[in-house]
Amino acid sequence: MKLKKVVSALLVSTMLLSCVACGNNKNTDDANKDNNDTKTPNTEAADDNNTPDDSADATGDGKLVIWTLAADLEQFAEKYMESHDVEVETVVIEPANYPTKVQTALNGGQTEPDIIVGEPQMLEDFFDAGYFEDLNQAPYNAQDYADQIVDYVWEVGQDADGIQRAISYQITPAGFYYRRDIAQEVFGTEDPEEIGKLFKDYPTILETAKTLKDKGYRIFASDGELNFFSGNTAWVVDNKLTVSEQRYAYMDLCVELYKQDLTAYAAQWSTPWYQAMSGPVPVLTADSDVNVWDATEFASATEGGATTEIFAYGLPAWGVLTMRDNVGETSGKWGVCAGPTYGFSGGTYIGISSNSERKDTAWDFLKFCTLNEETADWWIEKSEGDTVSLLSALEKHKDDGNEVYGGQHLYSFWLEQAEGLDYSVVTRYDTAIGNAWSNAITAIKTDEKSKEDAIAGFYDEVEATYPELTIERE
Amino acid sequence: MAKNQVMTKSKQRNRNNVAYLFVLPFVVVFLIFSVYPVLRTLYLSFTSYKGFGDPVWLGLDNYKRVLTDKFFWRAFGNTLKIWGVNIIVQLGLAFLLTILFSDIKYKMRGLPIFRAIYYLPNLIACTSVAFLFKTLLDWKYGSVNQMLISAGITSTQINWLGDVNIAPYVISIVGAWMWFGNSFIVLMAGVQGISTDYFEAAAIDGCGRWTRFFKITIPLLKPILLYTCITSLIGGLQLFDLPYLMNGPQGGTAGQPNGVLQTAVMYLYKFGFETRQTGYASAIAYTLFIIILIVSIIQFKWLGKED
Amino acid sequence: MNTVGYKIKKGILYLLLIILALLCLLPFLLMMINSTRSGVEITTGFTFIPSSHLKENWEQLFKFVNLFRGMGNSLLVAVPATILCGYFSSITAYALAMYKFKGNKLIFIVNVLFMMIPAQLSLIGFYNLCMTLGLVNSYIPLIIPAVAAPGTVFFLRQYVQATLSPALIEAARIDGAGELRIFHKIVFPIMIPGVATMSIGAFIGNWNNYLTPLILLNNPEKMTLPVMISTLNAATDLQSNQGAIYLGVAISVIPILISFCFFSKYIISSISAGGVKE
Repeated sequence: MKLKKVVSALLVSTMLLSCVACGNNKNTDDANKDNNDTKTPNTEAADDNNTPDDSADATGDGKLVIWTLAADLEQFAEKYMESHDVEVETVVIEPANYPTKVQTALNGGQTEPDIIVGEPQMLEDFFDAGYFEDLNQAPYNAQDYADQIVDYVWEVGQDADGIQRAISYQITPAGFYYRRDIAQEVFGTEDPEEIGKLFKDYPTILETAKTLKDKGYRIFASDGELNFFSGNTAWVVDNKLTVSEQRYAYMDLCVELYKQDLTAYAAQWSTPWYQAMSGPVPVLTADSDVNVWDATEFASATEGGATTEIFAYGLPAWGVLTMRDNVGETSGKWGVCAGPTYGFSGGTYIGISSNSERKDTAWDFLKFCTLNEETADWWIEKSEGDTVSLLSALEKHKDDGNEVYGGQHLYSFWLEQAEGLDYSVVTRYDTAIGNAWSNAITAIKTDEKSKEDAIAGFYDEVEATYPELTIERE
Repeated sequence: MAKNQVMTKSKQRNRNNVAYLFVLPFVVVFLIFSVYPVLRTLYLSFTSYKGFGDPVWLGLDNYKRVLTDKFFWRAFGNTLKIWGVNIIVQLGLAFLLTILFSDIKYKMRGLPIFRAIYYLPNLIACTSVAFLFKTLLDWKYGSVNQMLISAGITSTQINWLGDVNIAPYVISIVGAWMWFGNSFIVLMAGVQGISTDYFEAAAIDGCGRWTRFFKITIPLLKPILLYTCITSLIGGLQLFDLPYLMNGPQGGTAGQPNGVLQTAVMYLYKFGFETRQTGYASAIAYTLFIIILIVSIIQFKWLGKED
Repeated sequence: MNTVGYKIKKGILYLLLIILALLCLLPFLLMMINSTRSGVEITTGFTFIPSSHLKENWEQLFKFVNLFRGMGNSLLVAVPATILCGYFSSITAYALAMYKFKGNKLIFIVNVLFMMIPAQLSLIGFYNLCMTLGLVNSYIPLIIPAVAAPGTVFFLRQYVQATLSPALIEAARIDGAGELRIFHKIVFPIMIPGVATMSIGAFIGNWNNYLTPLILLNNPEKMTLPVMISTLNAATDLQSNQGAIYLGVAISVIPILISFCFFSKYIISSISAGGVKE
């Protein structure tokens, strides 16, 4: 009996507590009238009682808080502070945890950060949740700037209803970065057009890989270089899972590259992967007996086939920055060519938090980063080759040669690649479905499953992850 | 006399009321920071909550989905497998060490220093351990393979974290490396609790080492062994950090290669934070909790019988 | 007894023990050594000889993050949290163990239940709560919850039952001491070894805690050490030099190693006690 009383007392007190918590929530919402209802900001974001004029820079403290994924924006912020009397605070958060952090902060009605960003695959959820301010409304009127930015970037920043919510300062189409000297030796040419033909489709890539291996090189450092070219088709169309022919061809290529020992098996973004940009890396095979602990022996073994050089890296336009820091001695020997499909990856899309109380400053900063030609010029110089999304700047720099790439005109190349992109293929499902697909590929290449079983397993996994999708098995 | 007794009783009651004051801070903080979040998750597990917007009530749908989700059960199976091998290695090693240090014939010295060193791996944050082993065990470039090949132990590199038949056990063994020191200390304490008189008496009676071991050590250690096994199962079912950080190539919840490293809590995390199906993730969390609860109840029943 | 065979056997056993000990120390050692080597050196091979790149790695690392600030922040969280945990857990455990009052059993059962809940389960609810209470970007939600640490209370309750004789308290009561005074003057000193052991565990736990501070802290000035270490992984320019990352990890481990040197006795006795109790 007594226990029962205590239980009920405890329950009542917990319930009370939850009520108090709810009550509090309401109170704070009431108190912040110019704040959106945090639970359904997307429906109210466009309400006129919440125009930026009301709430913009209500704090007036000359501050701006940015949460970003890459350190780039930190540099933009520093630059911005030079010419503006605003104190910008930049927080860099690793991508794996970024959505969680933004989600928790904005759901709770935090008024900071003012500037939030997202990579393309994060944006759909962010837009649905109403985290990003509608930039088409006054005073932003972003639609007026539409023709100043590369098309696909503009589209990525739009939500399902075509409302502009984020803009990126960079374009990120992908290409293959290859070694001109190796190309000359093996294929007798180093011309990007010609080399592009060696990558024109998946079966050709396999042939290219074999040719390179015969000459003692490896086509790629890692298994992941093809990720950005895994098929420029949508995984989900009208709520239906779609596996295109390209996906299968890609699968076959990955399996063959592995089975025939054609890459150097470094993990992408690992130290050996970076090392391979600047010269030989050890490939330790069954018959190599080199003592890698002994530096002199290691060096003399370089000719013995115990080490190899890597022909190409598949990277987006921002790979220029990665290469910049890592090519070392091989600088000048690189070229960039197109891949088997158009592809792109990443890109920091900047938007304004719908909860921000410093929206005017935030918009000014956003314009500064994306729509200002001076900034674009500065960034191109500062980053030594990142590719901006502002068309006028790209036009202006189209004849700039990049020394790492033997003076190749990269900006016009990237613009061309970007123009070929079909952005509509990106969906929120991509990460999970892509993981399931690469699980299937791993299963096949390690002979754990037959191709049929692996693909059946893929369908099962997608079905379990997204019951709402229609799945028609073949 | 009677009056006096009444006095003591009321005094006692007064005294016991002080206890409320003692536990008050604990209870208040506990209700706010532990109970409330957990109850909120319980509520969410009955909804279609996506991390934003209003939760829509679904009743038991999420739970039905968990029970029929073969990938959840695969993840659960993975967890048991990783845990199983882990506990065998971990306890086995701890057990051997315990026998060695309690052996009355050899009288090994240096217990405190060995014990302290063996415990060291427990101290490093999981992130550092994972980073370290991932680098050391890298397929083509890791130091472990370099060492094995130079020593002629193997002629090809072993794909420690990329082979579906090896990777789960690698995680088990890294786990065992991290935690065996802890088990050793627990078991050692148990043995030190057994009076050496038993052993000496047995030795005088002419019992050999193995007889002593099976007739004295094992029976007396049984409750501790059971306790360690089962508490480790509770911990093991929550296994997350190590496989999350060590599965490749970039970590995450996919549990590569081919999902064999995806544990139950990683599966939960996939839905809670990666695909934003918070409601479903909450239902997974509670399903796991119920399983752990059942295991614990069995544990308490079992141990209760022992006494 | 001391035959040659016996000595050899014993020697082999010591050798095995030492090898095992080396296996436990090896990663620490590698970490320290690699933090003095450059990225190139680390990929090309493996050695026990320190190299000369410590200064470079150090500069590269500190250009990116100020680990000492992170360390200070971690202390700012871990020390008060540990103190609160030690004090309030012991007073709660004492009450649960030595007093009869309504709800005693219930608190104990709920307490044990919560030891079994996966931590990820309450993360979202916890964050919502901190939001509601306006505690985001503050150390309070990292410190205050330490007042209610189910595991510590569970352990200390067992500890009190084992070490404290009720007669002692009775005697103090007859002398007319108040209940709180009894706790402070008599009970707490007796509990100190147990509290100390749990506190060290709590300290290490708080020091290594990653997920909660990551979610709650927004201001880079306030970030704790593990959060800083994790941002190293987001820094692509650091990725290409593992030496700098090793150095970061090594620096974060050092305080733990030092405290272990001082308190290892307590830690070991705490684990021993935990096992024997059941």
